[in-house]
Order: sequence, then structure tokens, then C-alpha cells
Amino acid sequence: MEETKKQEQTTTHKIGIYLWIWGLLFVLSFFSYMVDWMQFQGLVRWSLILLFMFLKAGLIMAFFMHLFWERYALVNVLLWPMTAIACFIWLMVAEFKYTLFTRLFYFFIGG
Amino acid sequence: MSEDYKDNIEIQTQSSESISGGGSGATTDIDYVRPAEVGEQDLYHGHSFITKWIFCQDAKVIGVQYFLLATFTGIIGLILSWLMRLQLGFPELAGFMTAEHYYQFVTMHGMIMVVYFLTALFLGGFGNFLIPLMVGARDMVFPYLNMISFWMFFIAVGVLLASFFVPGGPTGAGWTLYPPQAIKEGTPGSGYGILLMCISLVLFVAGFTMGGLNYLITVLQARTRGMTLMRMPLTVWGIFTATILAMLAFPALLVGGLMLSLDKILGTSFFMPTILQAGEVLDYGGGSPILFQHLFWFFGHPEVYIVALPAFGIISDLISVHARKNIFGYRMMVWAIVAIGGLSFFVWAHHMYVSGMNPWFGFFFATTTLIIAVPTAMKVYNWILTLWRGNIRLNVVMLWCLGFIVTFVNGGITGIFLGNVTVDVPLSDTYFVIAHFHMVMGIAPLMVIMGAVYHWFPLVSGRFLDERLGKWHFWATFLGAYSIYFPMHYLGFIGVPRRYFEMYDSPYVTSAVGMNEFISMAAFLVGAAQFILIYNIIKTLKVGKPAGHNPWKANSLEWLTPSVPPEHGNWGDRLPVVHRWPYDYSVPGAKEDFITQTTPPSEVANTEVEKT
Amino acid sequence: MSNPKIEGYEFKPGFKGMSEDTGSDQTMFKGVHWGKAMMWIFLLSDTFIFSCFLISYMKGRGSTPVDWPNPSEVFALHVGGVPVPLLLIAIMTFVLITSSGTMALAVKYGYEKNRKMCGWLILATAVGGLTFVGMQAFEWSKLIHEGVRPWENPFGAKQFGSFFFMITGFHGTHVSIGVIFLSIYAYKTFAGHYDERKRGWFTSIKGDYVEIEILGLYWHFVDLVWVFIFAFFYLW
Repeated sequence: MEETKKQEQTTTHKIGIYLWIWGLLFVLSFFSYMVDWMQFQGLVRWSLILLFMFLKAGLIMAFFMHLFWERYALVNVLLWPMTAIACFIWLMVAEFKYTLFTRLFYFFIGG
Repeated sequence: MSEDYKDNIEIQTQSSESISGGGSGATTDIDYVRPAEVGEQDLYHGHSFITKWIFCQDAKVIGVQYFLLATFTGIIGLILSWLMRLQLGFPELAGFMTAEHYYQFVTMHGMIMVVYFLTALFLGGFGNFLIPLMVGARDMVFPYLNMISFWMFFIAVGVLLASFFVPGGPTGAGWTLYPPQAIKEGTPGSGYGILLMCISLVLFVAGFTMGGLNYLITVLQARTRGMTLMRMPLTVWGIFTATILAMLAFPALLVGGLMLSLDKILGTSFFMPTILQAGEVLDYGGGSPILFQHLFWFFGHPEVYIVALPAFGIISDLISVHARKNIFGYRMMVWAIVAIGGLSFFVWAHHMYVSGMNPWFGFFFATTTLIIAVPTAMKVYNWILTLWRGNIRLNVVMLWCLGFIVTFVNGGITGIFLGNVTVDVPLSDTYFVIAHFHMVMGIAPLMVIMGAVYHWFPLVSGRFLDERLGKWHFWATFLGAYSIYFPMHYLGFIGVPRRYFEMYDSPYVTSAVGMNEFISMAAFLVGAAQFILIYNIIKTLKVGKPAGHNPWKANSLEWLTPSVPPEHGNWGDRLPVVHRWPYDYSVPGAKEDFITQTTPPSEVANTEVEKT
Repeated sequence: MSNPKIEGYEFKPGFKGMSEDTGSDQTMFKGVHWGKAMMWIFLLSDTFIFSCFLISYMKGRGSTPVDWPNPSEVFALHVGGVPVPLLLIAIMTFVLITSSGTMALAVKYGYEKNRKMCGWLILATAVGGLTFVGMQAFEWSKLIHEGVRPWENPFGAKQFGSFFFMITGFHGTHVSIGVIFLSIYAYKTFAGHYDERKRGWFTSIKGDYVEIEILGLYWHFVDLVWVFIFAFFYLW
């Protein structure tokens, strides 16, 4: 199972694509840093942080980790479990808001 | 109508040929199966005693090692349950036991049984032995890592049992280990005990990650020629899905346990709110105990399905073999297992209805919990429909299967009660909950384990376990287990709380005294009955009746090895080639009442078999 | 590497291909070495671990009524008396992304059987990792010097220090383990183990350049986690 019968017919990519992706990642990191430097606040700040984060993560996964060229079976097996994480995040946002609410309520209004 | 049916058969034959790469569409080679994609696996063969039996890389040996260690740990859990029942039924005899001891027994019994016994047994024991055989592989894909995974489990058990011997003893926080109490004085074992528990769990998770990778990739990438996912026995589907759950759920336990340890060792406040201890304000502040509960149950709910799904898979195979009938609705059974596995990540807070979490969560989780009951119930219907008009052989294995169905339905129905928020509020933390989870996670999977032992013992050892002793074992266990857990439903309804050291003085609870005595007596008898099996195994290994090749006349690959018990490499010179699913039992027109997976279509040309 | 030729199997693209692959016999991930598949599933599991850490951090930070310290101030470096927010973090990010780039190149040269380039690039990646860990250690010592502890800190909510040390500590441990493996693999590459297909010392399995790709996946994962930590912890 770990030896391949046929010849090693591994087609590698040209060096250019790695340099492009590296450059793009650098640019996106710079933009992320700019979000803090320019002191954006509120919704603009959060949206930009998340946008650049997902773009960088996407580039690393797609090109450095080769998922762009892998078959769909692998890509889908890896990505669908994230829905469980998304559900956990969504519920924990509700939970922290509730916890903060109960704390503020009991600290300032009392039991 | 029948002509339509024949047309469909032809179309299906053609399309299955083209998928399998059959040449010009001519039906000359109906036995064609695609050639192997990758070369043969390079196995490491041990030659010394140590490399053949101790640090062995053969998955079958590793499976037996897991089985033995898990059973040993399970027996310790059983003894702990006797101590608990002694205190509850006959407190005057349990004078040596303090309340602290009792809580430590409760905690260790729970953790051992759920994690170190059931999970290890189903995934490590049955998974290692059966998966390579059932998918037609010579061994797991990474045998060295597989071997390491067992020894990690071994060390994890060692650390866990060591907690009995440290100052303060093992943790008594309940298997759920809830902070802040778990790490505060007043809870037994809040010093070293809880730390060793967390370390043991971390080691367990590490080991089971290594094992889990093996099980998953062997099923996904190392099947033999002709073995599609939809031709795998349901045992493999059950263990495979459970392993996926393990890979995704154990992280939450690891994180929770790590943060709990840090709260203890470094005084961090992940879970510790501002808190008073004997009038003194502790140094903690700002933490959230409910965060631990969310993390724990994000793990904890998939965990119970990690125990249940392999049981579902195994029972399907046992029923079909011993009723000589194909499992009813195989595809739906597969989808049900997958659906239950997927949904299990969205139901966790039904364990937290009374925790003080965001009240709106009850709506969400009660809904998802009732949804997950649907595929589960469907599986029960399909098992019953498999038995319907089957050629049932009422041997010991079948008895265990029937016992499973009865206890699982019982436990499953009480689960529906508890899944509804309003019904759960009065029943939470009462004996009703204990009755529910023991039925559905203790007794029912135990029935499966017993049935599986009697079923596969001839493969592992080449001999049959004694039928008569087996029947005594079954009836004692089945009737005894019902005697233990059925009364607990009543105890729960009248409000008897769980995790209580004694029943104290209250009018409604004193009425439960007689029932507690009855339950304890039953528990001791059922415990004693397990020695029938141990005696049976020892006797069989010495003078048991030889079983020969494929004694149950089953179809799946594990029975078709050249030698019994299978040797290292499983298949001798040639890997098997699979032509059909493992459920061709009692096929009309066939010579015998079973058609093995490796039987090519040309040998059964006159029959009409299902195309899976 | 992608869409390899498999005798008797016709590749279909997209979702149709996915259902064909899943329904076929023998393998679901066509042409994928079992070690690579194992590493991917392990990384999926590790993703859940870091997700649980970050979700706990989100929950902890969101529910504290005490103010959370301002990351731009806490993590600023003073250059010539001027506070430059997140300077160290920016350099760390640059170093780690570069090391990811060198790793990807190492995998490429490995498959091309260019032993020297592959070896040097793995070593470069290891150096990048080591630099990152060094800078992380420097950051820890700076914060500890300023009074940040796992159990309390002078800047704001108690949990800041605990989450910071725990999350960056777990990440840093992953990086360190990666550096160790990179050093071993650099040695094995230079020594020709992958060309000769020498059997591993522990596993007795024949060496193969696919191991570099597998280690590469781990290294890119470490970089990926840093992208998320950078966004959620330092920027947010």
C-alpha cells in the first residue's frame, strides 16, 4: 500500500508559483498589520481581520498544502467537519453573551 | 413487472461493469474486478518472543492485547460498582467506606467503564482484530504506530490506576470532572488525583489518535480489490464512523483536561470564578465553569456514540449471520450510522439542560436530540425486520443479539424522555438518568461484546465456546441486568438523587431501601455470573471443541483466511478479491444458504442476488 | 502528484469524481500515499484542538466584565523610544511564512530527486522555525518581566495571561517538534536515505520522498494555526 507499482511520475510545479503565493501572503500580512496601524474599530476592523485571515489560510491550504490540485474527495473530507466547529463557535458566542449578561445583572442589580 | 425487474438487473450489470472498468461491455467476463492500485504492503515480521508477542506490530495481536487490558480495567470498574452497591444496598456492611471513598469509586467506575473499557474494547480490541481482516488487508497501514498506540494505552491505564495510591486518592469529582469543585479542597482527590486523571486522559487521547489514524486510513485506503465502501460489513462501518468521532471529539476533552490541570497547577482561572472556600476568598476570578461543561460534553456526547456505533455495526453482522438473512436495508443502515455520527456533534448540551447555560439553547439541543433519535430508531426497525421470517438459529450469539435489541429499545425510549427539556428538569441527576445510560451504554453494548466474543472466538482460537455454559451466562446476565436497572427508573421517578453516598432520612426515600437491597443483590449475582464466561474461555482453550474453517458459514472476509487462526499477513500468498456484499444469505436459487464475498458471479449465475 | 494514472480507473472531475472515487473499490483518495492521508486526518484532529483553544479564548474574553488588555500596546516593541505596535509579531509572521515557502520548495525539489536543494531548503525551514521559537521565547520573557503571569497581569483581565501563555505555548511546542523532525529529515535527505530507500530505524519502512511532503503538510499546518492566532489574539 505504501509502494507504488508504476514509475514515479510526479509532475512538480514551477518555482514561480511558490514565489507568487509567498508574495501574496506577505502582502496580505501587511494589510492585516495595517488594520491595526490605521486603528480601524468595530465592524470594519473585525471584517477586515477575518477577511485577510481567511484569504491567507485559504492560500496556504490551497497552494502550499496542495489542496487546489487534490481530488474533491480529500478536500471535502477535510472541510465539512468545520461545520461542527462553526456550530460550536456560534453557540459559544451566545453563551459568552449570556454569561456576561448574568454577571453584569447580578453585579449591578443584585440577586 | 417481473420484466421491468429483469431489465433493471441487466442495466445494473452493465453499469457496474463500466464502473469497474469492464472492457467492451460484453458480458464475457462478469468476474472482472479492477487490478490492484498499489503494490503489496511491506510487513515487519518479528522473530523473537518480544517482537512476536509483546512489542508486536501484528494488528491481531495488538487487538488481543487491547482486549485483555480493557477487560482487566473493566473488571476493576466492576469491582468498584460492587463496592458502590454494597454501600447503597447494605450500608451497615460498608462501614469501612466513607463518603469520600464512595465518590472516588463513583468517579473511577464511570471513567473506567466509559473510556478505558468500552472505547478501548470496541475500537482497540475489535477494531484492530477485525478491520484488516474484514477489508481484506494484510495488516493496518502503519503497524509500528499501531503498536505504539497500545503501549500508550497501557501507560494511560497505569497512570489512572496509580491515582489510587497517591496521597488523597483518586479524584471523586464524578466522571464528568466538573470544576470548580474538581480541583478544590472538599472534593476527594482534588490534589494529585485529578492531575493524574487529566494526565491519563491526555495519554489516552494521544494513543487513540495514533490508533484511530490507522483504523481510518486502513478502511479508506487499504481495502482489497472489489471491496467498495458499500460492500464492507456493518461492523467496519460502525467502528470506522466511531473512529471519525473519536478523532474529532477527543480534542475537546484534551483541551478541557489541560485547562483544568492548569487551573490546578498554575492557578489560572479558565474555569474558576471568584470563589470562597471556608470563608476565605481564593485567588481565582473571572473564569467560567460552564465553559468546561461545554467542552466536556462536546467530547462527551460523541463519546457515547463512539461506544454505541461499533455495537450497532457488530450486532447487524451477528444478526444476519445467525438468522441466515441479509441485513434489512443495508444502505440505509450505513447512512443511519453516518447520520448518527454527524449529528452527534450537534446535540451535546442535552447533558446541560439544568446547568444554567443560555436558556435558549434548550430549544436548539432538544430539537437536534429528537432528530438524532430518528436514524437510531430506524436501525432498530431494520434489525427486527432482518429477524422477521429469517431462519433464526437460537444459539448463544443470537440470544445476546435479542437481549441487545430489548435493552437498547428500553434505554433508547428513556432517552427520549430525557431529551425533552421539561421532562429532564425533574429527572436530571436522579436514578432515572442512571437507568437510562446503563441500559443504553452499559447493558446493550455489553450484550454485543458478549455476543461478539462467542461469535468470533472460533476465529481467534479455532475452538467453539461451550454453548450450555454460554446460555447460563446469557440468562444470568440478561435477567440480572434488568433486575438491576429496571427498578432504577422508579427510583428516579420518586426523586432519588444520583451520586449520593446514602439515602438519609426522608419518607419518600426510605421506601426505596428495599429496592436498593434488591438491586445490590442482583448486581452481585450478575457480577458473579461473568465468571462463567471466564471459566468457559479457560476451559475452551484447554479442551474446547475445534471449530474448523468458517464454522458459522458466514460471508465476510475474516472467515475466509487460509489458516485459522489467521497468521501474520492474514491471507497467505494471495489477497482476496471481492465480488459482492457480505449479506448474501438464503439467496433464492443458490446451492447453500450463504454466498461468501469472494465467490465470483460466474459461480452463482442461476441466482438473483442483490447488487451491492 | 495530482491525478496519477491508475490502471483501469477513469478519473472524473469535480463532485461527480468525488462520488465515483468514494464508491470505488480499494481507495477513496486516489493516488494518495497512506502516510499523507494519515497526516491530513491528524491535522484535522489538531485543528479541532486549536479550535477548542481559540473558542475557549473567545468565550473567556467575551464573558469577562473586566477590560481586556489592548494587544497593540501590550505587544509593542520600543524602537528608539517609539512604540511600534506588533513589530515583533509582524517579524515572526514574516519568518514563519517564509519558512512555509522554503518547505514547499523543499517538497518540490524532493520529488525532483534534487537531494542537495531539498536538504538545504529543509534546513532553511528548520532555521526559520528555530528563529520563530526564539522570538516567541523573547516575547514571553519580555511579558513576564512586565508582570504578566498565567494567574494574573497588570494590564487587564486575569485570563489574558493564561490564554496567551497556553495558546502560544501549545503552538510553540508544535513548532519546536516540527524543528526537531525537520532536522532529522534534513540529515536523512543529505545522507541519501530517500534515494537509497533505506529502512527507517524505528518503523523499518522504506524511506521515500513522500515523507518530506508529509512533514511539509505538518509545517504548513503550524503556519496556518499562526495565521489564526495572529488574527484572533494579537489583532482583534
